[in-house]
Amino acid sequence: MDLFNDFGIFFSTLFSLMSSPSNILLLFGCSFLGIIFGALPGLTATLGVALLTTLTYGMGVNTALIALLGMYVGAIYGGSYPAILINIPGTAAAAATAMDGYPLALKGEGGRALGLTTTASFIGTVIGMIALVMAAPLITGIALQFTSYEFFLLAIFGIVISGTLTSKDLVYKGWIAGLLGLLLACIGRDRLQFFPRFTFDMPELDGGIEVVPVLIGAFGIPQIIKVLRDRIKLSQPKDFGRILPEFSTVLHNMKHIFRSAMIGIGIGTVPGVGEDIAGWVSYGTAKNTSKNPENFGKGEPAGIVSSETANNACIGGALIPLLTLGIPGSPPAAMLLGALMLHGVTPGPMIGLENPSFFIEICAILLLASLAMWINGIFLARQVVKLLQIPTAVFLPIVGVLCVIGSYALGLNIFNLYLMVPIGIVAYFLTEMKYPIAPLVIGVILGPMADENLRRALMVSDGSFMPFFERPVAILLILVIVLTVLTRLPIYQRLKSSIWTRISSKQGQQSEK
Amino acid sequence: MKKVFTALSALLIASTTAFAGSFPERDITNVVVWSAGGGTDVSNRVVSAELAKALGVNVNVINKPGGVAGSIGMSHVAQKPADGYTIVGLSESCVTAGVQGGWDKKMDIWYPFIIGGSPDLISVSANSPYNTLTELVEAAKKNPRAIKASAGGAGSIHHLNLLAVMKGTGAEFNFIPYAGSAPAQTAAMTGEVTVVVTSLAEQQQLLKGGKLRALATLTNSGQNLEGVGDIPSAFSAYSSLSEHLPISQAIGMAVRNDAPDAVKEKLSMAFKTALDSAAVKEWAAKNYYVLSGKTGAEARKEFANLESLFGWTLHDLGAAKISPEKLAIAKP
Repeated sequence: MDLFNDFGIFFSTLFSLMSSPSNILLLFGCSFLGIIFGALPGLTATLGVALLTTLTYGMGVNTALIALLGMYVGAIYGGSYPAILINIPGTAAAAATAMDGYPLALKGEGGRALGLTTTASFIGTVIGMIALVMAAPLITGIALQFTSYEFFLLAIFGIVISGTLTSKDLVYKGWIAGLLGLLLACIGRDRLQFFPRFTFDMPELDGGIEVVPVLIGAFGIPQIIKVLRDRIKLSQPKDFGRILPEFSTVLHNMKHIFRSAMIGIGIGTVPGVGEDIAGWVSYGTAKNTSKNPENFGKGEPAGIVSSETANNACIGGALIPLLTLGIPGSPPAAMLLGALMLHGVTPGPMIGLENPSFFIEICAILLLASLAMWINGIFLARQVVKLLQIPTAVFLPIVGVLCVIGSYALGLNIFNLYLMVPIGIVAYFLTEMKYPIAPLVIGVILGPMADENLRRALMVSDGSFMPFFERPVAILLILVIVLTVLTRLPIYQRLKSSIWTRISSKQGQQSEK
Repeated sequence: MKKVFTALSALLIASTTAFAGSFPERDITNVVVWSAGGGTDVSNRVVSAELAKALGVNVNVINKPGGVAGSIGMSHVAQKPADGYTIVGLSESCVTAGVQGGWDKKMDIWYPFIIGGSPDLISVSANSPYNTLTELVEAAKKNPRAIKASAGGAGSIHHLNLLAVMKGTGAEFNFIPYAGSAPAQTAAMTGEVTVVVTSLAEQQQLLKGGKLRALATLTNSGQNLEGVGDIPSAFSAYSSLSEHLPISQAIGMAVRNDAPDAVKEKLSMAFKTALDSAAVKEWAAKNYYVLSGKTGAEARKEFANLESLFGWTLHDLGAAKISPEKLAIAKP
C-alpha cells in the first residue's frame, strides 16, 4: 500500500514537473551546462553545483533541485569526454575511463566509446536512484560504520588500487606514483594541529596543494607534449559514425554494469568519498573478475562501462546519507546540502516526518536529470567527436590554453599556475619513465583524508594500532589491501605458478595411474 | 574654451561620483572560510541571496576552508582589492587565527556585518549511558581523559565552550579535533567520541531523530525543542560555569575596513534590508538562530571583544601559539 502510494507521488511529481516548459528548459540547460563543466578541465561537478546554488535561490525547492541535480549528473558524465578523446580526464572521477576510452579513440572508435559511456552513465544513475528509494534506511547503516580507522584504510585502498591498475610496466611504479601523491598532499598546515609542513614560509602553501591544478598539470601537459611530439593522429575521420548506444554491447556487459552500480552506490554512501574512488574500484574489480584481463588498458569496452556506471551510480549513493543523516556522501553532495538548507530543507533523520514526499520527489528529479543527460549526451557526443577533425597542431594548443584557464579559474589564483606547470613537466618525465600519473593525482586527492584520519585514529586510541584489527569493516579493508598488494608481487606469481604446476603434475600422475 | 573646461570637469566629477555611487557594478564573491553545509556557510548563503536582491547583482558564495581558524579564506580576501567585490563569510571562531599562528593580522582589518548565531549544546551519543550533565561530569571526574569529546576544530567556538565546561565543572575530556561541526557530530553518532559540543541549529535534526541526546544548553537559559522536550541550562547544575560562559556565536560577513566609505555604507544598508527580509527571519526562526544585525562600529566592537576573550582564554589555556600581547590584543 505504502509502495503504491510512493509510486503515485513519484509519477505525479514527474508529470507536474514536466508539464511546465520552463522546467524542461531548465533541466536540459543545466544538464548541458553540467556536461560542459565536466568536460572542461578544471571545472568540476563540485564547483558547478556550488556556482549554481545561489542562482537557484529564487526558485522553488523542486525547480532548484532540477537545476542542481541536472548539473551534478551532467558534470560527472561530462568528465569522460576529454578522457576518451584526448586522454585528459575532465574530472578526477573520469580518470579510470581514460584507461580504456583513449585506446578505443586511438583505434578510431571514439564515437563508440562515447556512446557506451553515455548509456552506462544513464543506467548507473538510474540504479543509484533505485537504491536511494528502495534501500536508503538499510544503506544508511553503512555510513555510520565508517570512523577514522576505516576512512584511513579506504584512502590507502584507493591509492593502492589505482597504482595497481594503471601500471603498464612494473606495479611498483604505480605505487611509487601514489606515494609521490601522498607526499605532495602532506604540503601545507596539518589539519589537526596546524603545524606547517614543507611550506617554506610561503603563505600560498599554507592551505596545501589544490587538486585541480595537479589534475590538469599532471594529465594535460604530458599528453599535449606527447601528442605534438609524436604527431599522433587523434582520429581517423572515416570511423566515427557509430554513436548511438549499442544495446547489444550494453546487454553483453550487464553483469559489469550491475556490479559497478553496486560498487558505486556503496562508495557513494561513505561520507566524503566520492565518484573518483568509485570509478577506480569498479574498474579494478571489472579487470580482476574478467576472463581476459589482459585486454584492459587496450580498449576494453567493459572497462569504460564499469568506471562510468560506478561514478554515476555514486550520485544516488551519495544522496542517501545526505538525506537520511545530513552527512554528504561526496564533495558535490556537500554543495547540495548547502543548497537544500538555503531552501529551508534541513536533511536529517526527521526529513521523512517533516517532509514525507521529499525523498520520492528527489528520486523523480534524479530520474529526470539522468534522462536529460542521456538525451543531451547522445546529441552532443556526435558533435564532440568531430572536434578531433581539427588538425592536431591547432587543437592541442587550444587544449593547452583551456588547461591554463581551468587551473586559474579555481579561486582566480595565479599561484595555481606556478603549481600546474612544474607538476606537468615532472609528470611528463615520469610518464616517459613509464610511471602512471593517475595514482599521483589520486594520492593528492586522498592524501589529506589518509593523513588526518590516521592521526585522529591514533588520538582516539591513545596511540594504539589495535582498533584497526578489532573493527569488522577495518579488518575487511586491511584484507583487501593486503590481497591487492600481495597478488601483484612477483613472489606470489611464482608461488602460484609453482603450486599450479605441482597440482597439475599430481593430477597427471594420478590419471596415469 | 572655459565653458568646455567646466563642462568637462563637471562631467568628470559626475562620472566619478556616479562611479562611487554605482557600486556594485558586477557580481560580488563571498568567500566563506568554513566548509559547505555548516552554520556559517548556510547563514551566509541565505543572507547572501537576500543581499543579492538588495544590491541587484549576484553574490556568489564559495568556500575556502582550512588553515587556522579560517586563516586561509581570510588571507585570501585580505589580499583582494578593498573594493567590496570580495567579502568574507566568517564567524567568531576566526578571531583566534592570530594567536594560533594562522596569520599576523587582527580582526580590526575587517568591517563586519553580524548575522547572529545559535546557542551551543552539550550532547552525547544516543547509546551512551549518560542522561544528565551531572552523570557525565561525575563519570569524567572518576576517569579523567577517558571520555572522548568532539567540538569541531581546535580553537573553534565549540572547542572553547567545551574547554569552559571542563574548567567550570572540573571534568576532563579527551578532545578529538574534526574538520568542522558536521564531522564532529557524525563521530558522536558512530560512537568514535561520546560527547559533542556544537550549536542547536547544527544538532536539532539529529536530536529530534534520536541520533544524539542533548544534556544541557551552554547559555543562561534552557531551551525547549519540540519532540525532544526541555533541555536544561548547564548553569543550573554547575553555577560556576557562569564565570566562563556563555561564549556566543557571531556568524556574519565582512569587507575590508579600508574599503571606501560609500561601499561600506551601501553594503550596510543592503545587509540590514537582507536581515529584515521575511526569508531570513523565517529561516532564522525555523533553524533556531538569534539574529543580531550589528554593523559598523558596533560590530567592530563585538569582534574586538570576542578577539580579546578568545585570544586570552586560549593563552590562559596554553593553547595559543602567539601571545595576544604580541598582537596588541587587549585583555578582556
